[in-house]
Amino acid sequence: MTWDITGMAAVANIGATPGEIFAALCAGQESRTPLKAFDPAKYRAAYAYEIDDRPEDGDLPLRATRWLTTVVRQAAHDAGLGEDLAQVPVLVGTTMREQRSLELWWRDGAQVALEDLHFGTALKAAFGACTTYTFANACSASLYALGMATDMIDLGLADTVIVAGTDAATEGGFGTLDRVQNDIPDALRPFDATHKGMLMGEGAAAVVVQRTGTGTGRVHARVRGVSMNCDAHHATAPDPDGITRAVRDAYARAGVRAGDIDLVMLHGSGTPLNDETESGVLRQVFEGAGAGPRMTAIKAMTGHTMGGSGLLSLVMAVIAMKSGTVPPVLGLANPIPEAAGLGLVQGRPAAGDLSLAQVDAFGFGGINAVAIVEAVR
Amino acid sequence: MTATSTWSGPDAREVVVTGIGQALPGVATPGDLLGPLPGEGGFDPATGLIGRELRHKDRASRLALRAAGFALHDAGLADTDGMFTGASGATAVVVSTNLGNADSVCEAVDTIATAGVTGLSPLGLPQTSSNVIAGWVAIRYRLRGPNLTVSNGVTSGLDAVGWARNLIVAGRAEAAVVVGVEPANYVVTKILGDQSTDAAVAVVLEPADAAASRGARPRATITGYARTRNLAEALASTGATEEGPVGLWLTDGSEAAGAGRLLAATRRVDLESQLGPLSGALGVLQCAAAAAHLDSGATGNVLATAGGPRHDATAALLLTPPPALRPSTQERGQQP
Repeated sequence: MTWDITGMAAVANIGATPGEIFAALCAGQESRTPLKAFDPAKYRAAYAYEIDDRPEDGDLPLRATRWLTTVVRQAAHDAGLGEDLAQVPVLVGTTMREQRSLELWWRDGAQVALEDLHFGTALKAAFGACTTYTFANACSASLYALGMATDMIDLGLADTVIVAGTDAATEGGFGTLDRVQNDIPDALRPFDATHKGMLMGEGAAAVVVQRTGTGTGRVHARVRGVSMNCDAHHATAPDPDGITRAVRDAYARAGVRAGDIDLVMLHGSGTPLNDETESGVLRQVFEGAGAGPRMTAIKAMTGHTMGGSGLLSLVMAVIAMKSGTVPPVLGLANPIPEAAGLGLVQGRPAAGDLSLAQVDAFGFGGINAVAIVEAVR
Repeated sequence: MTATSTWSGPDAREVVVTGIGQALPGVATPGDLLGPLPGEGGFDPATGLIGRELRHKDRASRLALRAAGFALHDAGLADTDGMFTGASGATAVVVSTNLGNADSVCEAVDTIATAGVTGLSPLGLPQTSSNVIAGWVAIRYRLRGPNLTVSNGVTSGLDAVGWARNLIVAGRAEAAVVVGVEPANYVVTKILGDQSTDAAVAVVLEPADAAASRGARPRATITGYARTRNLAEALASTGATEEGPVGLWLTDGSEAAGAGRLLAATRRVDLESQLGPLSGALGVLQCAAAAAHLDSGATGNVLATAGGPRHDATAALLLTPPPALRPSTQERGQQP
């Protein structure tokens, strides 16, 4: 079985639509900005990849919720669904939920209700949606949500499902990351020998997934299969065995082999441990699979957009396949030795005939999800 | 388009509850939930939340680890060392919590304000992410299947049971440990505007045929689930109106408009009226209470509901007697 992607939307630091974000990735201009979200004096990290929509003199609650309703509305419109989503399940993947709003309530007394911590409240108000779910599944959350959306369609529970991801940076998350990274990164440089670690980004993405033949309009791409599992190994560090199982399971579900993959959207969080682990797994997976696929890592420009990052990578993969263009990894000059032989795109966009993409997303708790997406010609 | 269903198609695999565990002060057994609570006994956090394997973990994770351990033991899926004996790669973890890491989030803000980031503990990194509990449960019991955290408001617990069933019926897991947990602390008390309670409960779900073949004892069948706009729609979508009389209705105290004749004379139990606000733990605790009720041989199905007009949706879960406790005329879901 395959599932049609009939609507897409995204917002990030480098653009307010999938097209804008993709164009920025291809242009490859440095996108990090000095930390504005929080008092820079309290952190060692000086840069982030924020969406610059805060007022000059402080912060606003419910930014992640606002991006979410924006991308859900746009994706629904793109698929021709209209604004009444009373009968459409909406599955939201997130790392932080509205924890940033909880922080602002706790510290500043911002007007936030317990019911605002999950996204169903806003989705009900904006679209009348009731079959809504907030999955707090760390940085693989939106691909987990995609997998569960395909299950819903498979099981006959729905013909159309909206899948989304959203996250705003939290003080506690940004701060604890700052605390644990020994050598503070001044940019997110996945797979480059100079990589030091992860910096947070902000953003949201949404796609409309439909049973084949349900939609009446254009089909952007097809989901061939989504795997999801857990390392059960370490609370924050990745495990090559778990990631390998996730990749192989995704291929099995999609009915493809490694040699069929033309493009890999890497998780590429820029931490030495992630980059080495992901590289090592992919070298094994693609060993003997011919020239191997092109690979790119968008977090170099978007920062780590957390729960929505997997779906944002997927949306970029769809545009890459449509346009036959793979954006480069910003700042990648000297790949780490573990990545030797991988087709990382450096310097300028690479052109190619791309039919099948693999999208990686790994999160805290050792949870992995891998999606296989096919171009529609 | 249909947004909900009862998974009642002819090919749907029957999923049953085979284990229950709880870490709930004042409640010793799931059956206690249905009567007046003794108020004594049950889980003691002062002595029950210590031990080497619980060190450096947030309170919600510690509670969840205990409840999950009890449930796996109850299901006959743990050895004498408390290690999981089932299919590691095919066992899912589904955690329901809304406030599990709220204390960690708010305390980090306070620490940064007073001491900067160098005042933070590096050991606090896992609990910056809302899925910390599910991660620890998977690590402790080596559960490598799908690992899901549902933080979905008052319906979370029922949603978690519904999604665990989905994972099994979709073939992604052969078993699931579903945990509902909320911790007691001053942050949660401030958020709720009401005294917070330590509450953790876990249920083990398996396909009925798999449970039968390993000789496990099913306590209840998960028959229907829905999250929809109101109670009437939720009842219709779970199949509650077609599956026979409901003998017990586990409510969350929301208005009963839409219950109709089906539930007019049904015995109602509101677990929160005795235990206080349960938030993400509620639905899983309702599932445990329902399973205890059905396991006792009581007649009729059990309906659990949460949410309502003051919330973004109403969720309902329908539980029916397990295969061994059903009159043969009601046998269904068994494939030739």
